[in-house]
Amino acid sequence: MTAYSQVDPKTNLVLRIHFFWRILFAILAAAGAVYIWVGGMETALWQKILISVALAMASIFSAIGAVQISRRNHSGRMISLVLDYLAFVVCFVLMLNTGEIFIGIDALAETFPKGIPYLGITVVGYFLSIMDEYLPQKKQTSENSLKVVGRWVMLAGFAIFLLQVDAINGIIYFLGKLVQPMGIASVIGAVIFGISIWSMMRDNVSQALHAKTDHEQVINGWLFLSPNLLGFLIFFAGPLILSFYFSFTDSDAFNTPNWIGFENYAKILNVRFAWLSTPDQFAREVVDIKVYDEVGRFLIGDGGILFAAADKFFWLALRNTLVFVLFAVPLSVIPALVLSNVLNSKLPGMKFYRAIYFMPSIAAVVGISLVWQWLYNATVGYINYFITVGIEFWNNLFNLAVVDPKIQWVSDEKTALLSIIIIAAWQTMGFNTVLFLAGLQNIPGELYEAATVDGAGAWDKFWSITLPMLAPTTFYVVSTTTIQAMQVFEQVFILMNPAEGPNNSTITLVLYLYRSGFQNFQQGYASAIAWVLFIVIFGITLVQFQRQRQSSIYES
Amino acid sequence: MKNNMFLKALSLFVVASFILTACGAPATEAPAATEAPEATEAPAMTEAPAATEAPAAEDVEIRWRTRPDNQEEIDVYSQISTDLDSELDGITLTYEPGGSEGANYQDQLKAEIAAGTAPDVFWIPGTDVADFATRGLILNASDLAAGSDFNVDDFYAGPMFHLTYNPETGASGADSGALWGIPRDVSTFALYLNMDLINEAGAPDPRELAANGEWTWDAFLDVAQKTRALGSDVYGYGASAWWGPYGVWLNASGGGFFTEDRAACALNTEESLSGLDFQRSLYQDFDVATPYGEDPEPTFRAGKVAMFQNGRWATPGVRTVDFEWDVVELPAGPSGTAGNWLFWGAYVINANTEHPEEAWALAQALTTAQTQGKISALGANIPSRVSQEALDAFLTFTPPANNQAFLNGIAAGANPTAEGPLWAGSWPEYDKIMGPAIQGVLTGATSVEDFGATICDEANKVFNQ
Repeated sequence: MTAYSQVDPKTNLVLRIHFFWRILFAILAAAGAVYIWVGGMETALWQKILISVALAMASIFSAIGAVQISRRNHSGRMISLVLDYLAFVVCFVLMLNTGEIFIGIDALAETFPKGIPYLGITVVGYFLSIMDEYLPQKKQTSENSLKVVGRWVMLAGFAIFLLQVDAINGIIYFLGKLVQPMGIASVIGAVIFGISIWSMMRDNVSQALHAKTDHEQVINGWLFLSPNLLGFLIFFAGPLILSFYFSFTDSDAFNTPNWIGFENYAKILNVRFAWLSTPDQFAREVVDIKVYDEVGRFLIGDGGILFAAADKFFWLALRNTLVFVLFAVPLSVIPALVLSNVLNSKLPGMKFYRAIYFMPSIAAVVGISLVWQWLYNATVGYINYFITVGIEFWNNLFNLAVVDPKIQWVSDEKTALLSIIIIAAWQTMGFNTVLFLAGLQNIPGELYEAATVDGAGAWDKFWSITLPMLAPTTFYVVSTTTIQAMQVFEQVFILMNPAEGPNNSTITLVLYLYRSGFQNFQQGYASAIAWVLFIVIFGITLVQFQRQRQSSIYES
Repeated sequence: MKNNMFLKALSLFVVASFILTACGAPATEAPAATEAPEATEAPAMTEAPAATEAPAAEDVEIRWRTRPDNQEEIDVYSQISTDLDSELDGITLTYEPGGSEGANYQDQLKAEIAAGTAPDVFWIPGTDVADFATRGLILNASDLAAGSDFNVDDFYAGPMFHLTYNPETGASGADSGALWGIPRDVSTFALYLNMDLINEAGAPDPRELAANGEWTWDAFLDVAQKTRALGSDVYGYGASAWWGPYGVWLNASGGGFFTEDRAACALNTEESLSGLDFQRSLYQDFDVATPYGEDPEPTFRAGKVAMFQNGRWATPGVRTVDFEWDVVELPAGPSGTAGNWLFWGAYVINANTEHPEEAWALAQALTTAQTQGKISALGANIPSRVSQEALDAFLTFTPPANNQAFLNGIAAGANPTAEGPLWAGSWPEYDKIMGPAIQGVLTGATSVEDFGATICDEANKVFNQ
């Protein structure tokens, strides 16, 4: 306590207040953590654990912060700022939520367009206000006038905009909603934490706690990073950990989940191989049919091997997904590589073609799938129509008797997955082309010039210079396309009816995950599928990384 | 520096205005009503609904949702919401049309229930009632009904059997102690006929055959073959790929999906396999049908399908075609009936609603004869109330001229099978096992024998052991 005498009394008082504030904060947080368990709160176990751990940590750190402030260590200031900042964010979000800001976002889409034209007035005002930069220096009076006029026009534009989009009603509604215990508490909390942060950031307090320039830089750095970091923790890392927890439960998303250990994983991985004495022997004769279903059979001579699983849909989905990756990745990478070399030339109109090929990548998947659904229609679709017209043309021209195949693109199990592969390859190719184009433009022209001098032909240059030099880009393209392909969902979900396709020929892992979680009330099981999918993707990517290291021209 | 501050203030102003604008929801106007469809004798709705009034201090806000098929239905439901809003004292209604391309109605609803943001009253299909009820997602309204003038017998018996089923006692009916909702409407299959194709092929008129009691599977096949002979791009029959269309062939031959007590798979019975085999022959042996798994509706609307099997909900779309069309009931199978379905869905109450009494009042108001009449006038469905008045009104909602075909499909004499949930198992899982396997048969990848030998091994796993 004697240390306080070295600073002015006012700062001394502020530090004392901060000290007691930290103590109070610690007590309240600890009380909250206890209340979660003894107060009869009806909430899920995982939520109780999560909240009480967070509050307990806040309590402990706040107590530590109090001690450090009393010793006038800078770590006390850092702890105080972090805790108050996080608490401020929580209070602010609670305040917005109580004011129904988040569910009102939908209304924004309805009311916003009414005000858009009036934003044009603001734009006009802005241009008026900056026009002085383009006027000759002598017209000083005009400059000032234009600036003033421009500002007023901008303000008027915004005022009309706000009136048009019903902002006044919004304010009234928002304030009205805040008049309830949660709203008032969140506003008071936000104000208190805000004042605490502001006070801790003031120069006299900073100096009293031995703040240095480095400390300020660290604080500013974290402050800038915080929106992204909080978003990552709340919307990515949090759900990731939660899904891992759910994968060990029987969660149906509605009721309190029960811990079931590895049961979900065991069901996924529970498979049996059994010898078949005849090719058409029933599965029930060789495996316990109450547990296993037939996934497939490999025929060898007069017998064969039966592959059965406790969850056959998972294995069918895995098979389909891997087949999809096997075809979709090369079909969207190799043509992209060729196309990028063509588009890299300096022929007229290349920019136009680059845009054309890129367009499918920016189009909405749902829209694209619906268009392809029409194209693929076996009876009135354009693809079959052109095939029919083409065959008739050739038959008439050469007096042939070629039979129209009338391909059932999406309703035949032999072609259903192929239909999805074609769409995915078509859609991804343009994006990959742009990536390859960027890679091509990084290859030094001198290499080609030297090769030309040495008498290398176009193919030699492509094989010996372009391909090796593009290796990093190729690696990136193949990796991202593979990951994307392993997660195929939208095209299948929209295009196929039912989404699983004929005889489950288009069921994929993500589709099965979605079906389990959102249609069959099995969120826990769906989470386990998601983690298995993650492991599969991670494994494939790891292999790709290792292969890249071994073969990279840059590494060697 | 001043300019810089001004721009900063302006930026803050913009962000704040966006946020506050988001709060302006209550002040938005309700969608304007459109005119009633020309082809029906729907009650006229010439006045646009007034903007939704701000709720009075004592008013309870109730949100409700149903799955509309098109914008016309959204407009009618919005109008109904506005009307009921003024009729129901102390309740302010907000109607939310559910579902869109890429966002399945049920999936979205389940996500909202899990998040605690689902509406107070919502519609679900009949097959989902058990899953929602046993998981505690919807309210058992039997106590609420006891204090009102609600009468179970006012509605079709099939839906009410499931809606009053008590999973704890196994009892069903008015005294079962369970009421999970009120049926919104009912529907059934009919064959939409392209009379131009049938006449051109010289095939007999199915409507006359039906009137004479000669509308059997053989007669159906005869018409399908004659019309198919008109060209390689003309089909005699078309049906979508889901449980409804293929189920009728199993039902009509005396089979079905489940055993009588709905506690085990019955897809492998002789009757079920016989019905499935007949349907398979339409695709594989006689080649009269549009390829299974392809949507037949565009082909029918393009004038290339003679008989298109679909429910009443397809009527508004078919009304736009430019050929002569009508409907006929499904042909009678070996069991003597057409094996048709009684489709239904119900308004149910969110188990977490804060206002169960008001929600019940709304569910009742949404299923009055008057409200059902307004919706049925669009042509997409049939009133769920058993009332001659309602049926007589339905017959006036033409075209099709032969509306009676739909009523024949749901008549007690036709013995339709009520769409229903699986109280002893999981319907979604059963459907996902049955659907692809039957598709395998109808596309020729699996034989009926192989299907029959294995399907119930797998399907029985979805029942509670």
